[in-house]
Amino acid sequence: MKEITNKLQEIAARLFNEGKIDVFLAWEKGEHDFQTKSYAARNVDDVKNIVFNEYTIYNVSNALLKFRDSQDRIGIAVKGCDSRGIVRLLEDLQITRERLYIVGIPCPGLKDPLAAARKHGGLGKKEEPESLAKKCLECIQPNPVIYDELIGPEQTPRQQGDRFAAVRELEAMTPDERYQFWEDTLSTCIRCYACRQVCVACDCRTCIFDEMKPQWVGRETNTTDNMMYHLVKHAHMAGRCIDCGECERVCPVGIPLMLLNRKLIKDVAELFGGPEAGMQYVEGAKPALSVYRENDPDEFI
Amino acid sequence: MTDKDHKCTCNEQPLVPKVVEVIDIIDRTPDVKSFFVKNPGDSGLPFQVSPGQCAMVSMPIGEAMISCTWQEEQEYLEFAIKRVGLLTDELHQIEAGQQIGLRGPYGNGFPVEACKGKDMVFIAGGIGLAPLRSFIKYCFKHREDYGKITILYGSRSQADLCFKEELFELWPQEANTEVFVTIDNPEPDWDGHVGFVPAYLEELNPNPAGAVAVVCGPPIMIKFVLQSLEKMGYQDDQVITTLEMRMKCGIGKCGRCNIGSEFICLDGPVYYLAQLRNLPPEW
Amino acid sequence: MKVLRKAKLDEALNLLNEAHEVFVPMQKKAQSGYFPWSSFISGQDELMLEALNVYQSPKGVVLPQTEKMYRYRQGGMEIKIEETFEDSHPTIIFGARACDVKGILAMDEVFLTRGYEDSFYKARRSKNTIIANACYEPGPNCFCQAMEVDCLNPAGADVILRDGGDAYVWEVKSEKGEAVTAAIAGLLEEKEAALPQPKPFTQKVDYSGVAEKLKTMFDHPLWDKLAEPCVNCGMCTYVCPSCYCFDIQVKMWGEEGYRFRAWDSCMFEEYSREAGGGNPRGASKERFRQRFLHKLQFFTERYGTPLCTGCGRCMIVCPTDVNIVRIIEAIKEAEVND
Repeated sequence: MKEITNKLQEIAARLFNEGKIDVFLAWEKGEHDFQTKSYAARNVDDVKNIVFNEYTIYNVSNALLKFRDSQDRIGIAVKGCDSRGIVRLLEDLQITRERLYIVGIPCPGLKDPLAAARKHGGLGKKEEPESLAKKCLECIQPNPVIYDELIGPEQTPRQQGDRFAAVRELEAMTPDERYQFWEDTLSTCIRCYACRQVCVACDCRTCIFDEMKPQWVGRETNTTDNMMYHLVKHAHMAGRCIDCGECERVCPVGIPLMLLNRKLIKDVAELFGGPEAGMQYVEGAKPALSVYRENDPDEFI
Repeated sequence: MTDKDHKCTCNEQPLVPKVVEVIDIIDRTPDVKSFFVKNPGDSGLPFQVSPGQCAMVSMPIGEAMISCTWQEEQEYLEFAIKRVGLLTDELHQIEAGQQIGLRGPYGNGFPVEACKGKDMVFIAGGIGLAPLRSFIKYCFKHREDYGKITILYGSRSQADLCFKEELFELWPQEANTEVFVTIDNPEPDWDGHVGFVPAYLEELNPNPAGAVAVVCGPPIMIKFVLQSLEKMGYQDDQVITTLEMRMKCGIGKCGRCNIGSEFICLDGPVYYLAQLRNLPPEW
Repeated sequence: MKVLRKAKLDEALNLLNEAHEVFVPMQKKAQSGYFPWSSFISGQDELMLEALNVYQSPKGVVLPQTEKMYRYRQGGMEIKIEETFEDSHPTIIFGARACDVKGILAMDEVFLTRGYEDSFYKARRSKNTIIANACYEPGPNCFCQAMEVDCLNPAGADVILRDGGDAYVWEVKSEKGEAVTAAIAGLLEEKEAALPQPKPFTQKVDYSGVAEKLKTMFDHPLWDKLAEPCVNCGMCTYVCPSCYCFDIQVKMWGEEGYRFRAWDSCMFEEYSREAGGGNPRGASKERFRQRFLHKLQFFTERYGTPLCTGCGRCMIVCPTDVNIVRIIEAIKEAEVND
């Protein structure tokens, strides 16, 4: 990890000195050892704050959204999942490839700073000793899919067994059982919208849930409105979710959001085929549900 | 800010509206209507207002804080409402006889006592004339308490001029009163002044000695008028304006209408410029 | 002193639950917060009175996430308000830490003073009793002391519990406290209990002078730097024991409907968005600044005490490690012109 940090700092410094970038997005150390924050280095003096360690799990491609209207040329350090986020933004025309210098870091799997913070902070239950974050244990693409430069050795995906096992369990339930499961789970949602804010695929200027004219989903935390929120949000993810798992990681009430996302990933793969969202960048490519073909499956209509 | 003892005269449940009846509706401009309101069955007013106070007009679709026009004979409450959003859209479609909800009166109102003996310079733009109209009517009702009255009003176009009858017929008739009206761009059947309010104000240059300027209008107009008034020699304690922010509760609880530690719904919306200088420049 | 042996805790909670809805800090599967004791499922849920605190604060007991206000019916030209929903069923918050109690006291200032009493809040709060849990060992993120909170003697509590090992010392502080004590009088014993030695705070922060200094720092460039990592997710406002901003909205179908209020957050983009489209706090940095100024300056100016209670939760839940203690330090160190 130290090597990667040094290499990153070296590259960032070089890019600044050569005048190739205005800002370099990566991570910096946070308050405690197990915390990191997203960081925007703006000049060669800032470069010494850049780190890559076992807690730099935050999807830094999300930070690109703050730069979509500026003209800054951006250097950015990405892991596998983050790089898929960049593909998402490129496909959604939120940023242009020419503005980016992408430094890819094949990721060995990281730990979750939020879990560490909870344990350290003494809030709630004492959790088990720390292992890799759940999303890292389920990772199918630790190696960046788009980059200008790669640092570090190639990594092997960590997902063991059937990736959709949990989804199949749900599918095997009767509709009533399934409804009960989701009612129990989604009724705990406090509508904090953290899942939306950390999601790189949520890149609408005005989110549908912020619209008042008309208001699409009510603000109450009852089952109806909560279900509508999650159904609508995840429907918007179909064919677009890059499987980075940030939403589930930050949820304060532990809703298994990736169950919904993986169900959609599975369905989209079965219905429309093609590579999964964000797995490769082809200029002009669009997400599965943004393209109409006459032979699109329509048995469900 | 003074910790005034607000008496919500509607009831002990300040967030629950009273039901009132719209007894009449008059078109003022293509997107402004005046709504006249009384208790249902024509049985008096839900509450009294002092000039500059507002009320939360409440319909099922939403609520909005609207300035309530003070009337000499307090026979009805009048709200001059511009169509800008969900609620106002709905309001513009109702007919006389419709019941709506109302809660108030809210806000601190204009300092009508403190301004006695002064020359009054009223500067308004667009729908901003509606709150000032309260103060203007109050001054005319108590004419001997106030000095010279100057009214400067501007709007986008002739069609957008509110309260034309007052502007062109009633107010110019009052003693020691001058009314100046301007529109933004020339129009074929308009032979009045053409130009923006701040520039016209500097042209007219009303004397700051012993005067108070009261300003209301779109934020951008207020900004430039305040700059002009400063140039013309008005001190901060001679300038009064009204602020606006998004409001929900109207009683200083929900948190959103604050500028600094002031809640515009409760402590405002009327402020002396001297007070505003102590607040964060979010207005 | 009066003590309640921990072995009798379940019994005490059941007794109290007869005339009140008792809320206790609980781990309920993945959730950590204050839940009704009556919803406790043995073997699945865990009572968290021994832990430092729980994820979600007890503010939801007096200011629920969602709360109906009144129901109306509209027929033709008429509107009728058919029912107002004032909930005054008695509640007890059992085991709240001083930081959380301060949060509720701060909300009392907001909802019950300055000319208007919020009738919905008043109904709930007037029947709410707080049994607080004194803190002898601050956590690594705690800084309540710096924010005018005494964790050993939670101000505003009706009863204070003190953890004496195998029993809680039961200290009655008010009339409401007397009333609930009467309910479990049979379980209390007169005994001396050895109380732990209070441990010092490991997190040092100096809030003095911050509110004053912030008056001059609205346009200070430090906000750009501090706000950079923030993604405006709103988690900080939801777990905060003293954040109280709410939205008022309506649910309607045909001619009927009800108005309700729900927690809102200054972090959300449409928080200050006006009907005409203007938004004084449209940018992320502006909303970020509003939150911290409210916590550290505006509330202090208006009510004489800071709104941040030093519980440390926001620092634990923030996905990008925004840290209010670091922000306070940055403010203290910042250079201000004139």
